[in-house]
Amino acid sequence: MTVTLTCRLAESAFDPWDELRQFAQASQGAGAVSSFTGTARPLSSDGEAVEAVEAMFLDHHPRLTLESMRAIVDAAARFGCDHRLVIHRCGVVLPGEPIVLVAAASAHRRAAIAAVEYMIDRLKTDAVFWKREDRASSSAWIEPSAEDRAAHARWEQ
Amino acid sequence: MQIGFFGRMGEIIGREVEIEIPASTGTVAGLRRLLAEHFPAAADALGDARLRACIADTMVDESHSVAGVERVEFFPPLSGG
Repeated sequence: MTVTLTCRLAESAFDPWDELRQFAQASQGAGAVSSFTGTARPLSSDGEAVEAVEAMFLDHHPRLTLESMRAIVDAAARFGCDHRLVIHRCGVVLPGEPIVLVAAASAHRRAAIAAVEYMIDRLKTDAVFWKREDRASSSAWIEPSAEDRAAHARWEQ
Repeated sequence: MQIGFFGRMGEIIGREVEIEIPASTGTVAGLRRLLAEHFPAAADALGDARLRACIADTMVDESHSVAGVERVEFFPPLSGG
């Protein structure tokens, strides 16, 4: 079986369902296809106050951002999935728009599910992005949450 | 020397800055001090130990030489994806 690795930085909106359909087609022969789609939230959950988010801005590095994504896709080889995909937005992302698509396909389900969990957990802390949440009254640069760091840490045991 | 700033630093100072570096500015630490003199409003942010320097796509420490270096980039803490 051939190995297919896709890793792309999307500068404009992408359709995760179309991407997933193509991914599943390219992974023919795999018995399991698993995926995660993250979309931009319409409400900010920073602290107590809940406020509408007007946009997210994802600042990125011209080379190191994609390199960090590739390193994560490569490291997920440990699960034995021959087909892995990460597509991540950069630039201005509007509420409801997809930010990230992670997918993995393998002969059996557990490897595909684990590879997807691993890739998204690592992306949430290690991917080279700087995110700004633009709300009606203010803007804030975001850092990974304690929950994100804990989700990452469980893969290092 | 070209200086690139990302994330919040790009907002505070500007994403791309070009400055003349005196020969006495030998290291990343010295470059930070020089930048703080040029951009006093960003002095605190420039002194933050969590702000990391990157030269030729590699993270470097404070004692790294900047002699002959054409471009240095500064990374605030990553947000992740």
